[in-house]
Amino acid sequence: MMFDRAYRQRLEADLARWEADGVIPPAAVAAIRVALPPLAPGINIAVVVAIVGGLLIAAAFLAFVAAHWIEIARLLRLAILFAGILTAHGLGAWFARAGQPMLADLCAAVGAIIFGAGIALVGQMYHLGGDFAGGMLLWAVGALATATLTGSRGALAVALVAASIWSCMRVIETDVPHFAFVVPWLLAGGLALAWNSRVAAHLVAVAALPWWIASAFQAPHDFRPSFVLANGAALLFGGGIALAASRRPRAAQAGSVLSTYGAFSLAGVAILEATLANEVFRTYAGLADQPLWTISCGVAGVILAFAATATTRSAGTAFATGAIGLVLAAVALWMPRQSGEPWLAYAALLCAMLCLVVSGMLDAARPRIVAGWLGIAGVIAAITWAVKGSLLNRSVFLAVAGMAAVVLALVLNRFVPRSRE
Amino acid sequence: MMTMSVAPLAERLARIPKLVLFGAAALAQVALLTLMIIDRGQILRDGTEVTLQTRPVDPRDFLRGDYVVLGYDITQLPAGPLKDQPSGERNPLVYVKLAPNRDGVYQALSVHAGPVAVTSPEVLIRGRLAYGASCGSKRDTFCDTLTVRYNLESYFVPQGEGRKLEDVRNQGKLSIVAAVLPSGRAAIKRLLIDGKPVYEEPWF
Repeated sequence: MMFDRAYRQRLEADLARWEADGVIPPAAVAAIRVALPPLAPGINIAVVVAIVGGLLIAAAFLAFVAAHWIEIARLLRLAILFAGILTAHGLGAWFARAGQPMLADLCAAVGAIIFGAGIALVGQMYHLGGDFAGGMLLWAVGALATATLTGSRGALAVALVAASIWSCMRVIETDVPHFAFVVPWLLAGGLALAWNSRVAAHLVAVAALPWWIASAFQAPHDFRPSFVLANGAALLFGGGIALAASRRPRAAQAGSVLSTYGAFSLAGVAILEATLANEVFRTYAGLADQPLWTISCGVAGVILAFAATATTRSAGTAFATGAIGLVLAAVALWMPRQSGEPWLAYAALLCAMLCLVVSGMLDAARPRIVAGWLGIAGVIAAITWAVKGSLLNRSVFLAVAGMAAVVLALVLNRFVPRSRE
Repeated sequence: MMTMSVAPLAERLARIPKLVLFGAAALAQVALLTLMIIDRGQILRDGTEVTLQTRPVDPRDFLRGDYVVLGYDITQLPAGPLKDQPSGERNPLVYVKLAPNRDGVYQALSVHAGPVAVTSPEVLIRGRLAYGASCGSKRDTFCDTLTVRYNLESYFVPQGEGRKLEDVRNQGKLSIVAAVLPSGRAAIKRLLIDGKPVYEEPWF
């Protein structure tokens, strides 16, 4: 909504300039203005002050209850909790009917937070402190139900935070990947699609990251964190660009958001791998010891990216697929415990990040360009400041890579038609 | 396909009055909280009563806020035949067979990786290993000694009474009566000092 408002301001300024310059006639300007859908109601100053007032009253109520918590009978405490939940949702319904969707969303989110506090307080009152992760799952279930029923993005955020904590705690407890997290994650993804909401798509994409990080770093000792993360980034990026290639606008919008997070994840993994590729960190087992589910995710990411390339026949998507393939090749083919420096892995990672930048330029996807540049900077930094190995050899490698890039630029400049400035 | 199936659902929900939807969300949350309480009430109502002797706890784990950390004689147990068996995960569920001694206080007889048959007055209680499942070269087998949590380790008390209970616990005078279901799930039913009830847990 915020971006929509900024776009309207820019469009209004452009229309005024084009009309003054005689580029378009006044009738066309009027027709464009009529064709634009009305802007959703935003938050005015009075609403902001009302929100602050509401939060202060809620905080005062909570402090009052906390001050007398012990003296209040257990069933009365329970009634206060239930009243808090009912009040939050009652206000939410009232705001929704009054045409204030943001305040309604906020109330549903506050209701979901009170529900979480309720789980903790019921656990305290009834001595149920044993399974913290189980409490988080219950919180996620309640908040997800709220999000589904009320359409609240805030409640969805609460649900995903609770589900992520639940899943990460289970990973720590069991030392194995916690695949049950896929269920709430897919449900949240379904809500993002149903609502056709970019905010929800961002929340769903962000929620994938802690799961992959927890799985990568809490895995048994013969796992390589960068290998697990690379396959996760491949799936996120490949799945994102496959969804973005869909003809359905809802899926395409969600896919573009996922692919943005996938691109940044791929760049992060490239930097991590360039750092860990140095032999001083080479204490992990080889490719054969890596789990099948991880490899399957990477393969699925590549297949999805290939499918998107075949469907769209877009050079940008092809370069994105190349970036995924090169990062996976770098983490898979560089054998651990191999002596010497991983020049091929370094070269593959640099090429992958260059592919990412080119892909972003061809698809006009600015976040992908930024991710690619960050990846290039990070990989060069990792190569330059590697802990072990010959600095002179690295200098030669960087010089050769730089010259190869200059030659490539000259060739491209000769054969590729230039765009008009 | 997913977008095809979720879009009509969203449209159908949009047709329902907001008051109904927000009301349903609130009721769902209240129902989940109520289920937590009913579940515990069911353990207290139907569970077999088992008296357990508490023991002093490492001072670093002491009172946090106003709840007492309770350790038991059955918290640390020898693994017995479980030793060197695959544990499967870092904190697996285990089942402990209990039987009363001459004073009526229940003691551990054996630890099992799954439920086993018991005959009265024996009781099977379920717990989760806190430590003792990460031994062996691959850190995936049971160790010599197991530390088990039964969901009976925290007891919230009125403000200012935690310290008193801790002192009594450290003198070995504090015991609890737990209710244990046939599935092994347990909840604290009452606290005893020198065998006399001091806190009785109501069902609700």
